[in-house]
Amino acid sequence: MLDRLVELLKSRGVYGWEISDEKMNGWEFYFIRHELDQHRAKNVEHINVKVYQITDNGESVGFASAEIAPTASEQDMEKLVDDLAYRATLVRNRPFTLTPPAEESSSDGKASDIADISADFIRTMSELPETAGEDVNSYEIFVSDISHRLITSTGIDATEHYPSSMIEVVVNARRDGHEIELYRKYDSGTCDAAGLKRDLEKTMNYGRDRLITQPTPVNGKFDVLFSGSDSCEIYNYFVDRMSAGMIYRKMSDYEIDKPICGEFSGDRVTVKALRELLNSSDNHAFDGEGAVIRDTTLIENGVAKHFVGGRMFSCYLGLENSFTPTNIEVTGGTHSEEELRSGKYLEIVEFSDFQVDSMTGDIFGEIRLAYLHDGEKTVPVSGGSISGSMNDFVGNMLMSTGSAQYNSMKIPALTLLRGVTVTGAEN
Amino acid sequence: MTNSLTGPFEEGEPMKAKFSDYLNGIKPGLEEMIRILRKDYDYVSVLATDSQGLAVRISQRSKSVSGETMTTERGIVVRVCKNGQYAEYAFNKFDPASPEKVAAEIQGALEAQLVMLKLAGVKSYVTPLLPDEEQTLFVEKETRQLPETADVKSLVDKLGTISDRGMTKNEHAIECIVSAQSTHICKMFLTEKRDLCQSYVYSEGSIFLVVNREGNTQVAYESVSGLCGPELFDGLEAKIDKAAATAAELLDAERIEPGEYDIIASPEVTGLIAHEAFGHGVEMDMFVKNRALGAEYIGKRVGSDKCTMHEGALCAENVTSYAFDDEGTLAGDVTEIDHGILKTGICDALSALRLGVAPTGNGKRENFEHKVYTRMTNTMFDSGTDSLEDMIASIKHGYLLEGMESGMEDPKHWGIQCIIKMGREIKDGKLTSKVVAPIIMTGYVPDLLGGISMLSPHREVFGSGGCGKGYKEWVKVADGGPYLKTKARLG
Repeated sequence: MLDRLVELLKSRGVYGWEISDEKMNGWEFYFIRHELDQHRAKNVEHINVKVYQITDNGESVGFASAEIAPTASEQDMEKLVDDLAYRATLVRNRPFTLTPPAEESSSDGKASDIADISADFIRTMSELPETAGEDVNSYEIFVSDISHRLITSTGIDATEHYPSSMIEVVVNARRDGHEIELYRKYDSGTCDAAGLKRDLEKTMNYGRDRLITQPTPVNGKFDVLFSGSDSCEIYNYFVDRMSAGMIYRKMSDYEIDKPICGEFSGDRVTVKALRELLNSSDNHAFDGEGAVIRDTTLIENGVAKHFVGGRMFSCYLGLENSFTPTNIEVTGGTHSEEELRSGKYLEIVEFSDFQVDSMTGDIFGEIRLAYLHDGEKTVPVSGGSISGSMNDFVGNMLMSTGSAQYNSMKIPALTLLRGVTVTGAEN
Repeated sequence: MTNSLTGPFEEGEPMKAKFSDYLNGIKPGLEEMIRILRKDYDYVSVLATDSQGLAVRISQRSKSVSGETMTTERGIVVRVCKNGQYAEYAFNKFDPASPEKVAAEIQGALEAQLVMLKLAGVKSYVTPLLPDEEQTLFVEKETRQLPETADVKSLVDKLGTISDRGMTKNEHAIECIVSAQSTHICKMFLTEKRDLCQSYVYSEGSIFLVVNREGNTQVAYESVSGLCGPELFDGLEAKIDKAAATAAELLDAERIEPGEYDIIASPEVTGLIAHEAFGHGVEMDMFVKNRALGAEYIGKRVGSDKCTMHEGALCAENVTSYAFDDEGTLAGDVTEIDHGILKTGICDALSALRLGVAPTGNGKRENFEHKVYTRMTNTMFDSGTDSLEDMIASIKHGYLLEGMESGMEDPKHWGIQCIIKMGREIKDGKLTSKVVAPIIMTGYVPDLLGGISMLSPHREVFGSGGCGKGYKEWVKVADGGPYLKTKARLG
């Protein structure tokens, strides 16, 4: 089918085209407590075609895309290609060139044993140290073996094969007839049994503490310590603001070789895009447009170094060797855990949904569990929220030297934002 | 009740949204596959989908056309049950001439899983058998246009004009992104005895106006949605002025002083509260797992006497107003809260079997590849009799909240988080010119609903967003209601 699609695309004389063919073989298991609610399997193929056309005597490039079913008939394929060829002439973007082929863009990988990976997850979950007070409510396991091939009019023909896994776990904790839950979602390549156990044990401890919380009493500005996966949202803010799309659209004011903030009184971030991170589900040789993913420093010691992003915006900005990043590593912390965990601060370990808006810089999150440290004693609290703007935090944030990995992000284990607005829950 | 459409629309005559030729073509093969599988399984059903779409996105710096939307798909999922254990197989390569081949593939894959599960010593959560009674349904809902045959050039031009106009409305505008998506949903649900087919079109459009003044970036958002075709997008242009006015106000907005206030939720914020408070909170698959406090509160007070809430595909006409859900249960309209008393939740078919209740037509999948969960459709507060003017006049110091960003619930603890675009200050019964933004509203759901003291007669429904379960399983939902006065904690 792909060969025929290529023939049809070539015969229409379009400016360019891309065909993405993803085959997925997946196993899924849904548990209530440790009993199997349902099991599911899937075997699917998704073929996406994108067509580029030049109009206005070369002054404009348009593109149109669609998915075509793997069972499509010859008639369906012809109609799709003709529709896309026409629709691409209707939209006019500034001209840009398509991603050229590169020697490094072809990668193999081998088929993953989804039965073995699934069994690892099931075994790991059965070995958790549950107690009468803290246990697992339910969990869902998703394991996939994915093969992805990208073919383009510029000569790219790259294939990669990789595993992708996810487990969603709900943990309960109870005391004196009151029960609460904590939610976790872990993405990875295969099953990281040790990491999963370690984090779920910590989650059960948080559950125990959440049952003895007091309402968050603070109303005002506070130093807030992030010590879990919510920190990823903070660092994604920097990655987003280094993206070619945001730069070109003037939604980010970062400039190459200039500091990302007026004055620094805290730590300066270094942000790198990496092709490989241990057991990440995002280890790819090439991005969705065929650009080779290379280890690249985006921000170095608080100074913008390389913008990266999709082909169109990268061309507009004149970026070379650009790509859409997958794995991210953040460093730059100069503080030990002991230093960051001293004095008065609020360590928030459970949010309802912590968010950072990359465009406005606004941060939000309802507090489900936090530890209020007054320099001497520590009180678990819940309720209320935090809010503020990254524009106010970037210059004085502090980071730990130690790191933690959350699937495709390796970041400082501890991050301290200063002067965050805390809305208390005490009446 | 009104919705966010600005119709009626004149473009195109009403017509039936024609059911998929592809699904009709594979139906005999699927029926034969069901017969083959029934020899080995106690229950077999098939959901086959063929939903085509059109998405156009125009901004000042990027323009594109796509045939894909959030809900376009073509595929098949087979559900089987044997000895009380349910399983599913999803695929999208089906040869109707060889149903026995696919049946063997399904049996092989599910058997391989059972071998692994047996080795791992896993126990089954045994569930009763789904009923299968004779039923046929063929529904083609009305539309004026179809996404498959829409005039794409006119639509591209129309959105381009809106984007250009948006840029002229505010001197600080840096981008105006205008999106239009329309999807023609076709689904077929088959068992040995049931044959249900439905076809309908829904559409949604939005304007994002981005402004920047001296490093202060703000985004104003306006949307339209409806159970109709691309004719909906005629209503987008009328939203530009509102987006521009909001953007200007956001640039001058101040931060709110954290605290508890009297609030008036605009219909969009009311919808967000409905969705997060007693939408997720009464999804009864959560009752099965003992994940929802709501299970213990059926028949008990959870809101003020003024608080009545409905949920169901039939209780509004918007993006998720289907005829039957993804398990073949006919659409419903459930009164969840009646004058403050929690009456019932919403339920998918398997959870209903486990709980011994009737399913409500809320079993939904992200697409054919995904499992069914209990999910919302239209979640609405009932209206009241109070005017907005009277509501404002009744407040000493508080805020009129407008524009929803996102929300999150905690069904086990009844916490709620709503991110709201902006608040208009009310002092001594009058709106001042002060605007605060952004706002995070938090609190305890029974307190929030218990504080409801006034509701306006006017209702609106909004369907331009998506809803996840936890952080996955994204589906279309709609929600709304009237202006609503209560108390809330704002930060």
